[in-house]
Order: sequence, then structure tokens, then C-alpha cells
Amino acid sequence: MEVKKDYLSTRKQFDKTKLLAPAFMVVLFVIGLFQSGFTFIVNSLDASYFIGYMAIGVTFVIITAGIDLSLGTNLICAAIIGGYAYNALHLPMVWCLLIVVAIGTTLGFLNGLMVAYLKLPPFIATLGMMMIGMGLGAIVTNVTTERYPTFGSPGAEFKTIFYKTTADSPLGAGIPLGAFWLSLFFIISMVLLNKTKFGRYTYAIGSNIEAARLSGIKTRPWLTAVYTFCGFCSGLAGVMYAAVYTSIIPSTGNGFELLGIAGAVIGGTSLMGGLGTIPGTMIGVFIMSFLKQVLFGWGFQPHVQTFISGIVVILAVLLDQWRIKQSTKVRKV
Amino acid sequence: MKKVFVVLVVAALMLSMAACGQQQTAAPQTAAPATAAPATAAPATPAPAGKPYIAIISKGFQHKFWQTVKAGSDDAAAKLNVDITFEGPPSESDIQIQVDMVNAALAKNPAALCLAALDTKSLNEQLQACVDKGIPVIGFDSGVPNPPAGSIKSTASTNNEAAGAVAADEMFKVIKDAVSAATTAKPVKVAVVSQDATSASITGRTTGFVNEMLKKCEEVQPGKVAVTGHTSWAKASSSGETAVEITVTIAASTSVPDCQAACQAVLQTNPLGVFCTNSGTVDGMLAATSDGSDLDRATGKYKNLPVIGFDSGSSLLNAIKKKWFYGAITQDPYMIGYDAVDLAVKVLNGEKVPEIVDTGCHFYNDQNMNDPDIAKLLYE
Repeated sequence: MEVKKDYLSTRKQFDKTKLLAPAFMVVLFVIGLFQSGFTFIVNSLDASYFIGYMAIGVTFVIITAGIDLSLGTNLICAAIIGGYAYNALHLPMVWCLLIVVAIGTTLGFLNGLMVAYLKLPPFIATLGMMMIGMGLGAIVTNVTTERYPTFGSPGAEFKTIFYKTTADSPLGAGIPLGAFWLSLFFIISMVLLNKTKFGRYTYAIGSNIEAARLSGIKTRPWLTAVYTFCGFCSGLAGVMYAAVYTSIIPSTGNGFELLGIAGAVIGGTSLMGGLGTIPGTMIGVFIMSFLKQVLFGWGFQPHVQTFISGIVVILAVLLDQWRIKQSTKVRKV
Repeated sequence: MKKVFVVLVVAALMLSMAACGQQQTAAPQTAAPATAAPATAAPATPAPAGKPYIAIISKGFQHKFWQTVKAGSDDAAAKLNVDITFEGPPSESDIQIQVDMVNAALAKNPAALCLAALDTKSLNEQLQACVDKGIPVIGFDSGVPNPPAGSIKSTASTNNEAAGAVAADEMFKVIKDAVSAATTAKPVKVAVVSQDATSASITGRTTGFVNEMLKKCEEVQPGKVAVTGHTSWAKASSSGETAVEITVTIAASTSVPDCQAACQAVLQTNPLGVFCTNSGTVDGMLAATSDGSDLDRATGKYKNLPVIGFDSGSSLLNAIKKKWFYGAITQDPYMIGYDAVDLAVKVLNGEKVPEIVDTGCHFYNDQNMNDPDIAKLLYE
């Protein structure tokens, strides 16, 4: 009797700590709303679209106990080649955007082959791919900045579909449609991770790849699929990056992947594998971007904001470790 | 067996991608071998006998700005009958690559070296070697700040402080009334968005703008003008009361997302005008204002806000054409490249050269951007 009661009380405690990250996000959101209202929402969204897609993709990879360091440069590589296809080869924009997604997916697939079949450590395989992506984009464009068409110019229709509406839209001007697409993708990937074989195997591989293999899962093709999906996400991130930032500068993009990884980690994805959720990751992404806006609202200089973001990443992981410790304590009881 | 197969598949895929890249760039790539060729040929032909060989190492290659600099250098080389090579690291943070490039260039014993240093300290040894070997070094663009004694003979560069001051003068024309109307109870802000507080050229523009704006504002609001934001420029108003605030914001890094974030923050403070000091912050401002359309004079969210940019690029030119941006300052990249080679040749001929040659800057807006003199300096 005594034991059961104890178990329940610890259990309750565990649930409370789980709410800390969402609560922190809500607090930041409310502060932000008081600072600048709708502008706060729009600004936070604008800055987090491409990070959101990367974070979702890398969450799958991190759950398998892997890592993808090539996300950032792959997205720039994909976006810059798409821009090149538009500016130099004069392909229709639809084709160019498909090229962006295809290149992201291909690079992810190659990561998957290297990790699953050649047994390269994910850190090394994707580190190499990071440089390959950076180099490839620069080679194809001959190291020139590619600029996508700006709002109002021909070819910029994709921006009004994927990013935000303009004055001539039936919905009115400045509606952040990107939020709709990101939510849609958020739901799709949540279903993928929680309700499908693909998702269950992702967790299984991350928890114990050997056990997964012995229980009959063909781990190599599934692991390849996880990296390919992550590459696909970096392609989508590339499209969003092009829509929001227009100018794609060659040999940039390294460092962006860390924003995605930080989002996943703040959201409770464990680098040891087997743990992580898509809602957690999105909360992580928005904690970062809300925090940025709120600190700006308080008049902090940008470098101070980077500094504080770093502290938040560390605190979030510490909190998470403590939470997991609590939950294993429960199991011991 | 399977492993071998996978290796082959990976290799084949990568090769085919690279091959696609090569094929697609067949036309523009011809430019690269052309510049590389004399570099490999130079050591074979002893310098004194043939044309003098001048190595040019810039801070970048990717920005079209550098391509225009290169065009100026190429023209000067053709006119003055010298051989040149033009190289630059892939990005302006690749200090290590630039050091390697300088080392490689020095190994070819050039008659002179033209250099836009990313970081003087990391090139100290090489610059000292130039002094020892008697290779004159000409700085260009942002030049070589704080060089070892005797290494830099001359520098061809935009006077960045003057360029910043031009921006301040142009902006003051439109915000003068609002500045005059400001009171301590209802203070106004003028904003500068900048990058990297340690880069000499961008710091110079910021300083030039802040000083000139301070001077202009003091004329109408004596004693009530303060400079706030980044501590390098911060200065309290002389009377202790503030009616006009000149705010300096430095983006957290040179990436477009970080510049966008800085611009978003600045826009929220409702400034009277914004000066973006380089193409990175201009890209950030464009991203923060839906490619500039939020600055539309009739329908935009910030329709009364004059923004002045720097340099050019298709999206900035488009924003100026549509009057979204009030205007921009352009350097003269062509003259920077031309003068660098010209100065090097003069030094080689034993002529006396001034310490700094100002290659000039120009303000342009939708009115004059198509004038031939301006148009040749703008690039898509």
C-alpha cells in the first residue's frame, strides 16, 4: 500500500517536470505578445520556418542515436543549385523547387548509405557530407550568390504560397502561410513517428540496434530511410530558406544544422537515442525563436542574445537529464 | 561483396552529381581556368624577362562585388601590360584559406602583391617576408589594417567614413523636419544596422554615419542627441536630456538569418530612418520586410520609413527601383581593382605613391540609377 502511494506521488512529480518546457515557451510567448503583438508572432515565425523543418528531420536521426551535421550546408547547397537552375538555366520555378527537394533528399540518402551500409560513424559521415554539400553548391554556381525572385516579380508566386501572402491575395496581405505548411508537416511527421512502422523502427534502432536487428527488423534499409527523410526535410528547409531570405550565398550554411539540433535537444530528444518527440522538438525550436525576439524587445544587443540562447540549451539538457533520472527512480521503486 | 557494391553506388552518385555541376557551369567556368593558367605558368617564366607578375588576393570571390573588382584589375593589367592572378577565399570567414593563398602566391615570387586582408594578424609573418624579400604590398578594398612597418606601400580603398557620412547627409534631408520636431517627451530614433564591429570597412561606415548624423542633428537639437546601442559608439547627450537617439545595432553573425533578426528588432523601435552598412545587412533588411515590399510607399507596413542600403545586388536594385528603399551608397569596385594594379605598377616603376587613394563612392536612388556612370558600378 505504502509503495503504491509513493509510486503515484513520484509519478505526479514527473508529469509536472514534463510541463516545464511548454510552460517556458508560453511565458515567452505572452511576454512577446505584450511587447509587440502580432509583429512578434510574424517575426518569430519568419525566423523559424527553415529551422523547424531541419529540427523535425534531425529529430528522427537523433532518435536512432545518430546525428546529421550536413543539414545546414545541404539546405544551402540544395537552395543555391535550385536558384542556379532558375537564374542560369531558366527552368520554371516549380522544377527548380523540385530540384531543391530532390538534392536535399539525395544527399540524405547518401548519408544513410554511409551510416547504415558502410558503418561509418554518423558524426564522420555527415561531417564529410557537410563539406561535400558546401563544395558542391559552390562548384555548380561557380561561387556566385544566387538570388530568388523577390515579391512582386515573376517567379515569386511560390513565396506567396509557402511564405506569406501579398496585398493582391484573397486572404489579405501578410498572412504567414508558412505557418500552415509547417503545421501540416508537423502533423504528418508526428503521425509518421508515432503511428507507423517507420516510426516504431526508428525508436527501436535508437534504443538498441542489435536487439532491433535480432528481432527481425531490417535495420540497414530502415536506417537509410531515416537519413533520407532527414535529407528530404533539409530540402524542404531549403525551399523555405529561399522563400524567406531570397539571397543564397555560397559556402555558407554550416552552423544552421546546430540550430535544428538545439531545437531537438531542448525539446527532450536524447543524443543517446531512443528518446524524443516531434512536439517536444517544435517547442524547442519556438523557445529559441521566442527567446530571441523577447530579448530584442528588451533592447539586448544580438550577441548577448546568442550568449543567453547558449545558456538555455545547456539548462534544457540538464533539466532533461534530471527528469530522466527521476523517471528511472520510479522504475526502481 | 555487398559493401563493395554500396561503395560503388555512393561513388557513382557523387561523381554524377559533380559531373552535372561541371556540365551546367561549362560557360561561366571558363573564366576560372583562365585566371588559374597564368598562376601556374608564372614561375616557369622568370619574372624580370617577361611581364611583371602581380598576385591579387581578395577577401572573397562569391560576392559579385569581387567580380567587378576583378574586372577593374583585368582592365588595368591589360592596359599596363602586366600579368595578374586574382584569387579569394570562398567566404569572408575563411582566414586560414586566405593565409594558404598568400603563401602559395609568395612561393611564385611575384613582383608585387595586392591584398585585402581578412585578418592582418594571421598574415603578419607573410607580410614580414614580403618586406624581407622586397616584394611591395598594395592594400585594396578594406586593405591591411595595422600592418608590419614598411610592408604596405599604398592602399586603394573607399573612404568608408566618407561613405557613411554621405548616407547620413542623404537621410537627413528627409528626416530633418521630424528630427526638429522631436522633444525630450517624444524622442525619435535613427538606426544603423551593421555587422562585425571589428571589420575596418564596416566600422568606418558606421562611424562616418554616426558622426555626421550627430553633427546634423546637433544643429537642430543642440545638446539633446545621444548615441546608443553598441558600446563602441555609445555617447550620452551633452545636456543629459535626449530628444534624438542614434542607435547602432550589430548583427550577431554575418549570416542572413542573424541580420534579419537584427533588422526585425530595429524596425520594432519605430525609427525615423535606417542605414544598412553592407550587403549582408541589406539582405537582412529585405528578409525582414518581405523583400522590401513592407516598405512600399503607398501600401507598406513601414511606408514612411526611409532605408538606405550599401552596395548593390538584384534584390536591392529592385527595392530601389520600386522606391521601397530610399537609396543606397555604392562603392566603386571597378576603380578599387583598377587602382590596386595601377598603384602596384607605379611602385614597381619607382614612382612615389600616396598612402591612401580614395576610390570614391556614390549615392544612388531610383532617379539616377540608370545614369551610365552609376549603372556600370551596379551589379545584379
